[in-house]
Amino acid sequence: MKNPYIPYEVKILDTWYEAPGDRCIKTFKVTFTDEKVWDTWNHLPGQCAMVGIPGVGESMFCISSSPTEKGYLRFSIMKAGKNTSALHELEAGDTFFVRGPLGNNFPLEEWKGKNVVTIGGGIGQAPLRPVIQWIRDNRADYGELELIYGARTSADHCFKDEFKEIIEEGECECHLSVDVEEEEWPHFVGFVPQLLMEVAPKPDNTIAVTCGPPIMIKFVLQNLEKLGFTPDQVYTTLENRMKCGIGKCGRCNVGHLYVCKDGPVFSYAQLKEIPEAFA
Amino acid sequence: MAVKKLSKEKVGEALGELSKFRLIAPAKSDEVVVFKQISDPGEAFLDYGNSTVPPKKFAFPQTETLFRFMVGSPELKEKNVEEEGTTVIFGLRPCDARAMSIVDKLFSWDFDDPYYLKRRELTTLVGMACVEPPSVNCFCTSLGGSPFGTEGLDMLLTDMGDYYLVQPLTDKGKKLEETLSAHLEDAPADDEKKAEGMAKESEGKIRRSIDTEGIPEKLPTLWDNELWKRVSAACLGCGICTFLCPTCHCFDIQDEVDEGGEGRRCRMWDSCMFEEYTLHASGHNPRPTRRERTRNRINHKYSYYPSRFEVIACVGCGRCINLCPVNIDILDILDQVVDA
Amino acid sequence: MVDVNKLREKAKEVVSRDDVRLLIGYRPGTYGFRARPAFVLGPDEVDELIFTPACVNNLASYITLEEKLPVPRGEEPDLRKVAVMVKGCDSRALVQQMEEKAYDRDRILVLGIPCKGVVDMAKVEARFPNVLERGEIALEGDKFVLSFDGTREEVAREELVADKCLRCRYPTPLVYDELLDEAVERFADDDYSDVSELEKRSAADKWAYWEEKFSRCIRCYSCRNVCPMCYCEDCVLDRLQPQWMRRSVDISENTAYHISRAYHLAGRCIQCGECQRVCPVDIPLMELNRKFYKDVEELYDYEPGTSVENPPLLSTFKVDDREDFIL
Repeated sequence: MKNPYIPYEVKILDTWYEAPGDRCIKTFKVTFTDEKVWDTWNHLPGQCAMVGIPGVGESMFCISSSPTEKGYLRFSIMKAGKNTSALHELEAGDTFFVRGPLGNNFPLEEWKGKNVVTIGGGIGQAPLRPVIQWIRDNRADYGELELIYGARTSADHCFKDEFKEIIEEGECECHLSVDVEEEEWPHFVGFVPQLLMEVAPKPDNTIAVTCGPPIMIKFVLQNLEKLGFTPDQVYTTLENRMKCGIGKCGRCNVGHLYVCKDGPVFSYAQLKEIPEAFA
Repeated sequence: MAVKKLSKEKVGEALGELSKFRLIAPAKSDEVVVFKQISDPGEAFLDYGNSTVPPKKFAFPQTETLFRFMVGSPELKEKNVEEEGTTVIFGLRPCDARAMSIVDKLFSWDFDDPYYLKRRELTTLVGMACVEPPSVNCFCTSLGGSPFGTEGLDMLLTDMGDYYLVQPLTDKGKKLEETLSAHLEDAPADDEKKAEGMAKESEGKIRRSIDTEGIPEKLPTLWDNELWKRVSAACLGCGICTFLCPTCHCFDIQDEVDEGGEGRRCRMWDSCMFEEYTLHASGHNPRPTRRERTRNRINHKYSYYPSRFEVIACVGCGRCINLCPVNIDILDILDQVVDA
Repeated sequence: MVDVNKLREKAKEVVSRDDVRLLIGYRPGTYGFRARPAFVLGPDEVDELIFTPACVNNLASYITLEEKLPVPRGEEPDLRKVAVMVKGCDSRALVQQMEEKAYDRDRILVLGIPCKGVVDMAKVEARFPNVLERGEIALEGDKFVLSFDGTREEVAREELVADKCLRCRYPTPLVYDELLDEAVERFADDDYSDVSELEKRSAADKWAYWEEKFSRCIRCYSCRNVCPMCYCEDCVLDRLQPQWMRRSVDISENTAYHISRAYHLAGRCIQCGECQRVCPVDIPLMELNRKFYKDVEELYDYEPGTSVENPPLLSTFKVDDREDFIL
């Protein structure tokens, strides 16, 4: 069996910025330097990978592409610490290292035949993107798809082109927001939990998936309950500081669960039992 | 085949025989007892209580390289644990051996940890029964262990006065007995029975205890209990209780690069009592104070670990009690858990 | 000896005050002769408080150790005082912290305990091992009296006393709001004979000596965390960006750690000896600290933590400062 601590080298096919600023978000589209890795690499939406550069370090990121997108992986990474700053220096043609896929995935098999509503905030759209892409690529298997997404400003919105395409093609209901008023913004102004109440998706035969900053998640979960969603209809992802990614190094636990191994995907029903989940 | 004994006069030559392997034994560094690799049998100090630092570091080193690299080069050279060779840890206490068998579960759960498991495969554990409990704070018997416990051991030695009774327990132990055969003699026929009596006697001398029944289930119900604030108020946030714990296994991973670009990715012991342990890059810390960290330490040992691996991650060696600078006492905490 | 009833009465009065949030004192430990820090929040909690020669901890460390969490929106920060019991040596930590402007004098209320010496618990436990039930230690004249398991033992003070007490210059606290006992006159002095011995060794000898000790270090950071002068909110040792110290535990990084630690305490260490006391692998850290302490006293006639009016050594400059040691 392969040593789970040894990463694979990937080559950057393309990069672009999703959002500007001190904590800018950059997307990396990569493929394995050794093409044979693709033969054994199987990931599902929600799964993560350790991403890094030997000499700098590794950090855990969700794989923001769906396995239905062939021949590449995508990572959308916010500049925050030492490792992410080093990654942001890289451009097309450069290489870095990836270890995974790690963790569990959204149970998209179980969701077949159901409606799915995604509720994202900021960089939290990154783990939702593969869910949306998976459903777009397996459209007949699922009911209605509805997207709710907000960020501080319109510039902070990730995956702008894809949202634009979805809206223009009228593929599905898509509701966008910014936190504060700005000129020529045609959509909702306010926080994502408020937008959720505005949209008020129906809970019947529907799964709600939400990712974003902890404070947003907290109110989104409360509001979903108000809308009649039961905890087992609601999914989210958690993140914590991680090192090994394979349930050994200890630090990422929330209660008795390791985020890296038992997560990052959890149903609200699971998390309700764990007070540390929202620490 | 008769049970064997190792005369104390022959311990030196037996250790000499074993030094063809990587031989680890208790030894003195100034007045501190440490487990270390010995080449000279005279260094071994077998008449000891227990070591300050548990011998876990020979399965799970405090710092170990996972792989080496040159900065900018795609080639990653995996550390080959095999090179460390066959290892004998000689004279460890039953609690510390039992701790290894507990930690084995974590390192072989789901993803196999190749470094740890390879090292365990290469290692033979020769235990030294505790004829006297080494510390007033020993409580191994509360956790399913015993001063003469054999769990995790390949061979048990018992100090019978002039000689050690030698009891191989596994195939590895039997193989080691063969290796040592030239130095062993037949033990008196009733020695095994005598040792059983000594075990009972030693168990009777263990004075601290906790009834663990129900604690794993109760702990999660005490999440917001004020006891956590109380028991953590004096905590200094240092790593003594975790680093000296034979079952604590948390680690950090760091890349270290020398001048010239030669680097290694290594892992090193980390402690859930450190602020930095759970600190996010954003600055957010889900365990912002010593209260949450202490609660996690106790929960991890007495609730999370048993919920996954069906065994409490504590062997009652007493190190965390003996060496806490502010007398935070895990049994005192558990008593409060029981009473809460 | 402090009268325990008087101590509890005073503690009760102090924690009952509206402007006091917490009192930090001592209470009996969980076994044997140990004592441990006590955090008293209300008058009904004072009955466990003690002061005996087993009260070794320097409680001044807790003033700066407490985490400063963000105040929730709409709430006021709790600015009430922290009351703390200190021995002479411990009080110097408060003085030095305040010299360095770690906090203002009116944030703390100091209950001073004149002290004739505490025990070295390691010596006590080596002499009387296996004491589980609570044992008492008292200092009577030049003897420690130990009562345990129904027996009473008298041991000469110098056999069990902490090394630092043998050269204690400040038995009575240098800062206090109230003294809990009669002031104790200076009864000992420090001639640095131990440091002079070390100074005489060759560089090779010194290295061999410290190499053995530093190679035992497990980097638990108890020496840093217990130190009342190590109160930086963001310790240079924890930093990864830039990284000053690797986390690898080996003789090279351990040496770098201990040298950095000692240097950061030059002109600041007040000789409470807590770092050495807590070290699980018996590294004689005070030997490093005392070398600096001696140098600072000889070069600048300065003793840290002796007067709140004194500016910290490293923030002062006098034109006649010695500089002949600068290469």
